[in-house]
Amino acid sequence: MGQRALAARLWQSLIVVAVVTTISFFIIRSAPGDPFAYDNPRITPAIRAQLRAEHGYDKPLPQQFALYIWALAHGDLGYSVSKQGPVSRSIAETLPRTLALTGLSLVLSLLLGVIIGTLQAARRDGWFDRLSSGFLLFFYSLPDFWGALMALLVFAQWWQLFPAGGMVEEAVHDYLAPWPAFLDRLRHLVLPVASFTLLTLAGIARYQRAAMLEVLPSDFVRTARAKGVPERSILWRHALRTGLTPIITLLGILFPALLGGVLFIEKVFQWPGMGLLAANAIIALDYDLVTATVIVGSLMVIVGNLLADFLHAVLDPRVRV
Amino acid sequence: MKALSVILPIAAITMACGTERGTGSSSPTGGTVIASIPGDAADIFPAFVGEQNGAAVRDLVFDRLAAIGPGLNTVGDKGFTPELAKSWTWASDSLSIAFSLDPKARWHDGKPVTAADVKYSFATFTDPKAHSPVAPLLVNIDSVAVRDSSTAVFYFKKRTPEQFYDVAFQLFVVPEHIYGKVPLESLRTSELIKTPIGSGRFRFVRWESDVRIELVADTANYRGRPKLDRVILTPYTESAAAATQVLAGQSDFVQAYPIDRIAELDSSKQARGQTVPTQQYTFLGMNPFVPRSTRREPHPVFADIRVRRALSMAVDRTAMLHNVFGDLGRIAHGPFPMGLTTSDSTLRLPPFDTVAAAALLDSAGWRRGANGMRSKNGRPLRFSMLTLSTSVPRMKYAVLLQEAFRRLGVRADIERMDGKAFQARVVPEGNHAGDFDAMLNAFQPDPSVSGAKQNWATEGIGPDGQNWLFYSNKTVDAALDSSIASFDPAKAKAYASRAFQQVIDDVPAIWLYDVIYVAGVNRRLEIPPLRSEGWHVNLADWSIPPAKRIDRDRIGLAPPAKR
Repeated sequence: MGQRALAARLWQSLIVVAVVTTISFFIIRSAPGDPFAYDNPRITPAIRAQLRAEHGYDKPLPQQFALYIWALAHGDLGYSVSKQGPVSRSIAETLPRTLALTGLSLVLSLLLGVIIGTLQAARRDGWFDRLSSGFLLFFYSLPDFWGALMALLVFAQWWQLFPAGGMVEEAVHDYLAPWPAFLDRLRHLVLPVASFTLLTLAGIARYQRAAMLEVLPSDFVRTARAKGVPERSILWRHALRTGLTPIITLLGILFPALLGGVLFIEKVFQWPGMGLLAANAIIALDYDLVTATVIVGSLMVIVGNLLADFLHAVLDPRVRV
Repeated sequence: MKALSVILPIAAITMACGTERGTGSSSPTGGTVIASIPGDAADIFPAFVGEQNGAAVRDLVFDRLAAIGPGLNTVGDKGFTPELAKSWTWASDSLSIAFSLDPKARWHDGKPVTAADVKYSFATFTDPKAHSPVAPLLVNIDSVAVRDSSTAVFYFKKRTPEQFYDVAFQLFVVPEHIYGKVPLESLRTSELIKTPIGSGRFRFVRWESDVRIELVADTANYRGRPKLDRVILTPYTESAAAATQVLAGQSDFVQAYPIDRIAELDSSKQARGQTVPTQQYTFLGMNPFVPRSTRREPHPVFADIRVRRALSMAVDRTAMLHNVFGDLGRIAHGPFPMGLTTSDSTLRLPPFDTVAAAALLDSAGWRRGANGMRSKNGRPLRFSMLTLSTSVPRMKYAVLLQEAFRRLGVRADIERMDGKAFQARVVPEGNHAGDFDAMLNAFQPDPSVSGAKQNWATEGIGPDGQNWLFYSNKTVDAALDSSIASFDPAKAKAYASRAFQQVIDDVPAIWLYDVIYVAGVNRRLEIPPLRSEGWHVNLADWSIPPAKRIDRDRIGLAPPAKR
């Protein structure tokens, strides 16, 4: 990607963030109530009014928006009423947890999806193609929330193979030696990561299969075969490189879908990441926190897309202009 | 737990050897309880606590001067047991009470609890700069004086039956040497209040937002060491996930096990059910005014008492209770929960009589049309019922009520709302009527009759009250006032009953059920009957017999090496 194109994409991204910020700012404020709306019979309206004034929520909406943008321009994401601290602190605590979950799931689903899709294309209409397609289609058609709850029921409640939620075994984790502590973390990752991976695996495998079916009859594959290149090498070294390009594009589209799913997965598995933070913030009508999670989410989507463009350029020299 | 048991034997070798004397495998004390709580705490500093999760931490880490007894008596000091105050002496005119502090009482940092701390606490709770929600409840206290380092004297503006309760129940004592450094106006946002130091039987260890709140036993506590070593509160947002954690042994306790999954507890080897009484009662409130009307124009349906009464008589409350709760439900007997000293199960409620209900509607001019639904002067008999979407019992009740009303020829639409959105509709803004026709709601009044007054007296109408139905009856006002002013508990109850009967007769609401939770409890826990003020109230008396302890019960009290 040339410097000009990159600069243009960055400008576009900035506009997207600005629009997203504006929309989320006004949408959350249009919901009935506010962060200090009644939730405790003991907090009198007078105290609620004082608290609203302290946080500037009594000012006219355009003024609130101007103040928010001014603070945002200075790197201040605001104050979380429900967490009683700077929003940046809550984001800093939860974002790495979400990135660990989504990152691991994305890598796994890409890896497995590419392998399965490639094998399906190589053995088109064979038993593996049919069986794996049916299997993946089944998981693809499950609603996110239901799929996660079923995983919880089967693997945590019935078979008790994996923990039913959380990041670690709360009581003992801090007392474990490094290796068991690592295993403990790993065990807690299994169900949320698996649920997440199954969410996206089918789509990737399907794309990969289609891409490979287009690539495999190509001239360069036929030439390689005529030259006596082993079939395995043709598939995994020559054809796959070309067949990967659409998957990289898919990566950019996949990111927003993952962020949507993170809300459900973190809620079901009590994974204290940004999805859970956002869900709780919405319930609490924590204005600044909701807006900040939306901004960070949109930034993640933008970065994901830029990354996809970059990888696309690496894999396909034709787009390096 | 199967998989964890593979890891933990290895871990046991490397544990920080934190087994303090008295927590070994044969000791009567020891063990870790992981309790799942519905959401994170909002505040844990006593002056600011306003919800149940924060209240649990507050009650375990901090002490009151005296604790209310299981009978929840609020008149005089009968039933109250000493906490920080070892004893108390009433002045001959009852306008002051001198509290003698327990000389053994210490803050968790080792410093003694003094009368100056009591005075500081009162100042913190009542100073407008602190914005404490407790302040309005302490208005009858004029001042606090320090007689000597271990005697604090409370002076009251007037003699009332509940003046002792006001001090003992509403005020928590906090250490001046810790929080006195922070200006009151910045106390709410101070980091200090997030790592509280109290004098309760549990010490605060840490609070990781949305992850856990950890407390450990205060082994040298003046009221005795708790039987448990450690309590970890883990927030959940999905009750199905919390239930699974209890069934899997990952969590030891969840206060409100999902009502539709209670049968699982009977067959579980890990967990059992235990009822948790509460001070909540649920009702279908009917708005007598047009929603959001400024001038409070009469509601076209509910302004007529005959309609309200007919709707009440169309509801088979016992059958509904059984339908939703099985054998675990408890019927509501009026505008009060049954756990209070003033509760009365002998009051007359409108009977279940669909024939009489239909006749009442006919007499009110609401007649059935060709489609079986009722109307009057072309206006159909139709209203909406606002309900909280996160409450499974209320959602089920909404459907059952809708069907009961349909049989009567009344159309009720269900409106589901989440937490704050629901409250924003229910709580009137200024003098506007609430933004609903009917609402399925629950009240949790204080043990005192003053709580009922907030909900059902004319005084409770307006921005500072919680009389969201704008219910007003002078007989009720007078009877509630007489109850509150009565120093004789029997008379107080009689006056309250008179007030409650009048409320029932006026039918501002249909009384549905008292809220009882079924807690999911790990079978290794031995816990006394849970109290209605909160599941956590006697947590210091929960225990785990040595033979039933698992790996996490043997950690001991020492912090991990890497913390």
